[in-house]
Amino acid sequence: MRIVIAEDLLLLRDGLIRILTDTGHTVVAAVDNATDLRAAVAEHRPDLSIVDVRLPPGFRDEGLRAALAIRAGTPDAPVLILSQYVERAYAADLLADGRGSVGYLLKDRVTSLDDFLDAIERVAAGGTAMDPEVVSQLFARNSRNRGLAALTPREREVLGLMAQGLSNSAICAALVLAPVSVEKHISNILAKLDLPPADDTHRRVRAVLAYLNR
Amino acid sequence: MTSAPPRTPWAGRTARSLGYLACAVPVAVPALAWCVVSVVLVLLLALTRLGPRAFLASSFLARSLAGLERRRAGWLLRRPVASPYAALTAPTPGGRARELLGRPATWRDAAWLALLFPLSLVCLLPALVSTLVTVGLVAAPAWLWAVPNPNAPWFVAPLVSTWPGRVVGTMIGLALAPAVAYLVVRLADGQARLADWLLGVGPQQALAQRLVETRARVVDAQAAELRRIERDLHDGAQARIVAAGMTLALAERKLRTGPPAAADDVRLARRQLDDALAELRRLVRGIHPPILTDRGLAAALSALAADSPLPVDIRAPGTPSVPAAVESAAYFVVAEALTNAAKHADATSCRVDIDAAPGTLTVRVTDDGRGGADPAGAGLDGLRRRVEALAGTLTVTSPAGGPTVVLAEFPCAS
Repeated sequence: MRIVIAEDLLLLRDGLIRILTDTGHTVVAAVDNATDLRAAVAEHRPDLSIVDVRLPPGFRDEGLRAALAIRAGTPDAPVLILSQYVERAYAADLLADGRGSVGYLLKDRVTSLDDFLDAIERVAAGGTAMDPEVVSQLFARNSRNRGLAALTPREREVLGLMAQGLSNSAICAALVLAPVSVEKHISNILAKLDLPPADDTHRRVRAVLAYLNR
Repeated sequence: MTSAPPRTPWAGRTARSLGYLACAVPVAVPALAWCVVSVVLVLLLALTRLGPRAFLASSFLARSLAGLERRRAGWLLRRPVASPYAALTAPTPGGRARELLGRPATWRDAAWLALLFPLSLVCLLPALVSTLVTVGLVAAPAWLWAVPNPNAPWFVAPLVSTWPGRVVGTMIGLALAPAVAYLVVRLADGQARLADWLLGVGPQQALAQRLVETRARVVDAQAAELRRIERDLHDGAQARIVAAGMTLALAERKLRTGPPAAADDVRLARRQLDDALAELRRLVRGIHPPILTDRGLAAALSALAADSPLPVDIRAPGTPSVPAAVESAAYFVVAEALTNAAKHADATSCRVDIDAAPGTLTVRVTDDGRGGADPAGAGLDGLRRRVEALAGTLTVTSPAGGPTVVLAEFPCAS
């Protein structure tokens, strides 16, 4: 996979490059600010951009804004935002266009290598990767939602993994469940939340996130 | 023989003092006029609705004149005479007039303006007469021959009509000069000191003012420091831990073909780093929420509202720019109030009003819960101390049965 990295801290930029090249990816550009990021994306048309939220000069949310601008110019350009902290509001910004190919993860998640590699594959393939902390913030704000209250603990677990963007088979693996029972849980969840059934995993994930974010 | 006294520091000081005493008169006359006119007008208009406005206008004039007097006294004393006025906060003219009536500075200004005319005459006349007499005596040989005075009494006649007598006059003038200079300097100094005492800032008030200023500076510095700590923790310590975690992750991957025990240790180390990161993030959020740094108060409050399980109606017309310390205190007030409303008050909805009048920021959180919140509880008490450190106030009204209203008011010069 051809990847552009925007990360201002040298330590982390090098770490990311090392991890990605060690796992068979190509880092076509590694930049340290938002302007260079937009230029690099325009030049290389990468399969994925990995972007730090805070970038110079303001060290506020320049990275996120650049990512949104990139996606406004090139819809579906896959972007994975990495951050030292997660804010549900930022995730909502990323998800607002209703398209896939976005991810929002804590930088810590990079250290769980398999999960991280899985997440970048998912984002590049048009899917979604939401940090478990974002998902728990989403659950917290929906704690009085009747639809969610009607879910069984197991269904909540499945919903949490769906919201993170995991595919059915990944959910099966994570919860050690048979594919049939995961399917059943998912159709129960969709029914209880009054969401239309959909075969396409990505679309289902987006519907769930939109539901939790509304 | 010259008529100009020798240039000594005393000469300069005397000239300065004379100047000070002389220019009191052009201020004293309008001051006297102010006293008469404003007393009459304000008393007459006090019976009508124009009373407060007339009083405010007359106070404005008094303050302008007093300001001039402060500048004059400061010029003579060679140090600024600070003005003691505090800002008026009442929204209506009536309220402001009442505030002014309660301020000692108003009455001290009036006292000085009333005193200035007689005082300036009492000081200026002796100073002027004695100076003219001395200068006249010193310059006697230069002019007395031109004004022959046949009617001079016998004891003065030799002094004015003979050359040796006129030179003796000069001697007497020179001998008197230091005493006259002393008199002039003392008179001017006394007047300026009295002005300083009446119009300036008293030592207690000066101390209070200094404390308010330094406290504001400390609080501002602390807010900036917290913001810096937040960034440093995120970009320094946290980034280093993440980098170490990345290295461990790669090691773990390479160890998949090696001894399982080593792989387990590395995995454990990585998890421990993850815990450290989670802990660090929790800590930082309590110090200074990152979204406040990134997007400011309005966005941070909307995020709080959106993250609350309750429907929160947030009304913040026009987002004011307020000092960082006020911003973060306002954020934590809303965060705590929303948490309490959802957790303890059994509320079904909440309303947040942010109101930025000039000079104050008001934050009001109202829920429709069952009330009975304990204002002395740990959360609210901590908030109160935080708000009070900014010279603000936090009021919690929570009657049994509700609703609970948390009101924080911050003064902020913007």
